[in-house]
Amino acid sequence: MAGEKEVKTEEKKVERPITAEELAKDFREHSVAEFFKKNRQMLGLYGKIRTLTTIVHEYCTNSLDATEEAKILPDLEIKMSELGTEYYELTVKDNGPGLTKETVGKALGMLLAGTKFHRMVQSRGQQGIGAAGVTLFSQITTGKPVKVISGTGKGKTFSLELTIDPKKNEPKIINLKDIEKQFQGLAIQAKFKDVLYRVSEQGPLEYLRRTAIANPHAQITFVDPFGEKTVFKRSLNDIPEKPTPVKPHPRGVTVDELITLAKYSDSRKVGSFLKNEFDRMGDKAVEEISRKITFDMNKDPRKIGWEEAEEIVKAFKEIQFIAPRVDALRPIGEHRIKTSLESIVKPEFLSVITRKPQVYSGGFPFQVEVAVAFGGEAGRSTNGNNEKKEGIEELKRMEIMRFANRAPLLFDGGACAITKAVNSIEWKRYGVQDIDNAPLTIFVNFISVYVPYTSAGKQAIADEEEVVEELRLALMDAARRIARHIVGKRKEKEKLEKKRMYLKYATEVALAVSEMTGKPKAEIEKKLLNIVMKRLKIEEEEENKVNDVSDEEIEKQLEKEVKKEEKKKEKKSKKGKKKG
Amino acid sequence: MANKSGKDKDKEVQEKLAGAGKSIYKQIMNGENPSYELPVRTLGNIYFDKNSKTIKLGDKKSSRQFLNIAHTRKFMQTMLVASEIRKVIDEKATISIRDLYYALKHTIEGTNENTFEDQSESDPIVEDIEASLNLLREELHLSASSKGVITGNMKIKDGKDTIDLNKMGSGGWGVPSNVEPDRIEIKDIDAEYVLFIEKDAVWKRFNEDLFWKKNKCIIITGRGQPSRAERRFVQRLNREEKLPVYALMDADPWGMYIYSVIKQGSISLSYSEEKLATPSTKYIGLTVSDVDTFKIPKEVTIKLNKLDVKRLNEMKEYEWFKKKEWQQEFKLMKEREIKLELEALSKKGIRFITETYLPEKIKSKDFLP
Repeated sequence: MAGEKEVKTEEKKVERPITAEELAKDFREHSVAEFFKKNRQMLGLYGKIRTLTTIVHEYCTNSLDATEEAKILPDLEIKMSELGTEYYELTVKDNGPGLTKETVGKALGMLLAGTKFHRMVQSRGQQGIGAAGVTLFSQITTGKPVKVISGTGKGKTFSLELTIDPKKNEPKIINLKDIEKQFQGLAIQAKFKDVLYRVSEQGPLEYLRRTAIANPHAQITFVDPFGEKTVFKRSLNDIPEKPTPVKPHPRGVTVDELITLAKYSDSRKVGSFLKNEFDRMGDKAVEEISRKITFDMNKDPRKIGWEEAEEIVKAFKEIQFIAPRVDALRPIGEHRIKTSLESIVKPEFLSVITRKPQVYSGGFPFQVEVAVAFGGEAGRSTNGNNEKKEGIEELKRMEIMRFANRAPLLFDGGACAITKAVNSIEWKRYGVQDIDNAPLTIFVNFISVYVPYTSAGKQAIADEEEVVEELRLALMDAARRIARHIVGKRKEKEKLEKKRMYLKYATEVALAVSEMTGKPKAEIEKKLLNIVMKRLKIEEEEENKVNDVSDEEIEKQLEKEVKKEEKKKEKKSKKGKKKG
Repeated sequence: MANKSGKDKDKEVQEKLAGAGKSIYKQIMNGENPSYELPVRTLGNIYFDKNSKTIKLGDKKSSRQFLNIAHTRKFMQTMLVASEIRKVIDEKATISIRDLYYALKHTIEGTNENTFEDQSESDPIVEDIEASLNLLREELHLSASSKGVITGNMKIKDGKDTIDLNKMGSGGWGVPSNVEPDRIEIKDIDAEYVLFIEKDAVWKRFNEDLFWKKNKCIIITGRGQPSRAERRFVQRLNREEKLPVYALMDADPWGMYIYSVIKQGSISLSYSEEKLATPSTKYIGLTVSDVDTFKIPKEVTIKLNKLDVKRLNEMKEYEWFKKKEWQQEFKLMKEREIKLELEALSKKGIRFITETYLPEKIKSKDFLP
């Protein structure tokens, strides 16, 4: 855990996301390695535990994306072994389309070669700097190359070793060999120092568990440094639809993003650039913008500077645009979430809800998926991982699984809107007496093309009012659906406790009454036990009668509360509109 | 109180306990949920009885049932305590309530739970039994530890021993827990009043200065909130020897409340206050107006804290504090936001309290009712 402490302090230094432009500039002036060492924290490679998790994330994301694109059901094998103190070897193998001799260098040996910044799509890979960054990290910490085996499954298999020339930002390939063996997919083996494997909420195992939950079509096998093998089995056989790329909505763009887009634009004039590159941008809007800015719209977009870009972004904020389209949102889906949670968390009760898309901050579409799982293997064990003693009831703590566009968010939980929404709910109302110590897994997937992250670490969602409200409604709805089961289970437990209490005190009472009256104890005790059993039976019968009615009653009551909250929200948004 | 001989009383107590046991037994044999009634001992069920001028318990009763999860444990504990008391009386012994707690504490079979976890669990059960059977603790052969000391011109006959309170030195005579007439006899008393002092340290000052000798009085302290033995003994001095009782307390809500307990009783023992309270007790001091009368320097007063003010507001509403003199005192205390400890008078000289303050107060009859 010591490694995680530095995370928070370092993260505060990061003020805004770093752009490709700036990166490229730096590459020319310094060596890539130097730049890399200096900027590790911006790239998600800081903190010994966090770094290892980020590395696993980079490789797995690539594998999942590649298999998805090739319409292959992903089969991931991750193996980690400890080579020395804070020194590990990681092997990641997938069954994807593999890479060609031409693309392998670019994909794994050139920083920023495959960045997705000009393609606004709801994507998994939003953090870190990709597999090439990992290659460089390995190289810097161990001096060793990354080993790669790639095959298409049709006889063309090759192996190679790869490093990056940090001065030129170019891949260096050695030992390229063709292999006779049939293989489909990509296998990467790399060594890292200054990292630490831990079985913690922020370690690779938990990352993979959550990745598996968000991707029920994937089979993920993990062998940890102790040789322990965990298999997250595939629970669904259909590959999810790929999200469609959309142009950015003018309201969501920042100044440096605008400059970057402009540099890559094929348009000759700023006006046509805006129309081509942005969603919901018509002639009327362009005309309005031209009236608000101080420079000529016929200017070459590749030549606009920071101040001019600022003017445009400012103008975007002042103009009414049609809201962004929602068809780019790709939820996991209730059925998929249900199937994977049932397979991996095996809860006693489960409710899953995918809500309709909403907008935040005046126009950004987002969608929320929530699952509440109770009992079974839900919740985090607090007994310690390897110390499951027999006979002792396992103590569980509530766990929140946060996802943004299906990618698990493991860090900075306290700052996240999801955590805030979960904590703001009165769980007692839903039968959960002590939320912190309940066998409860709360799954939340936040879906948006523009995820409002709190910082460059991209591990926490900002608490935009509409976002928190929507999360609350979704959570309440999900909680309401399992409240009855939880209450029922608690009652069952209470009944047992009641019986135990009556019985244990009955013996004491019988003895005392016997001493006071001189009557035989056995006779008194027997009678007293009869009284207890009779009473419990009557209570149970009555409860069953009441239960038939109160089931609906509970439902109704909870429904009312949710509706009340919804009305409040409507009122608020109406007010907001009037003001606007 | 009719002074029955110990044996007769024991017989009566045993009969009452046996009756209670039999009633529970009968209920069990009839297949009923066993229960017993007991008076409610909270502020809501007490009243100030204008005849006896003491706090009394109202008529509200509650039923404690075995088949009620909120009552089950207490029900079991009550049975245990009642049965133990019977045994103690049979053996003609007297035990302390602490002894009782240890005698009954054991692990319940098949659990890791004890019949009583703490003495604070068994003490209220004893009070419950006293209240529901209308018996005094002493009559149940139980004693609470007492902590008070007394001295003055008098003799005490305790069993076969006769004790001269004149000759008790600096420590005084420790008041025993049972001061009932069949145990303690008051003899050869030569005093004009009883002075009930809140604090031990102040009582020592009075003893060292031989205040009781010079002023012909009995001095007693309960070392804070007095236990019932001290209160019962003062009541006897008042009733049997016709001595007026004066209280000397800190001028703060706690001191004033202790005074009210001596005078008309406490809420938790409301069922036996007629046997404990001394309604004619007068409050000598300290009062907030003493600050002016005796020119007590400001720096020895203490500012009231939040808790004091809260307590003051509660006490203002108690019926036995409704007299206008008390209401005025409370008002003054709240206005000035000060309280005053007895020891503060030392600022005016070590013997100021015994040689000036008290004699002047008694002479001028400057009391609160």
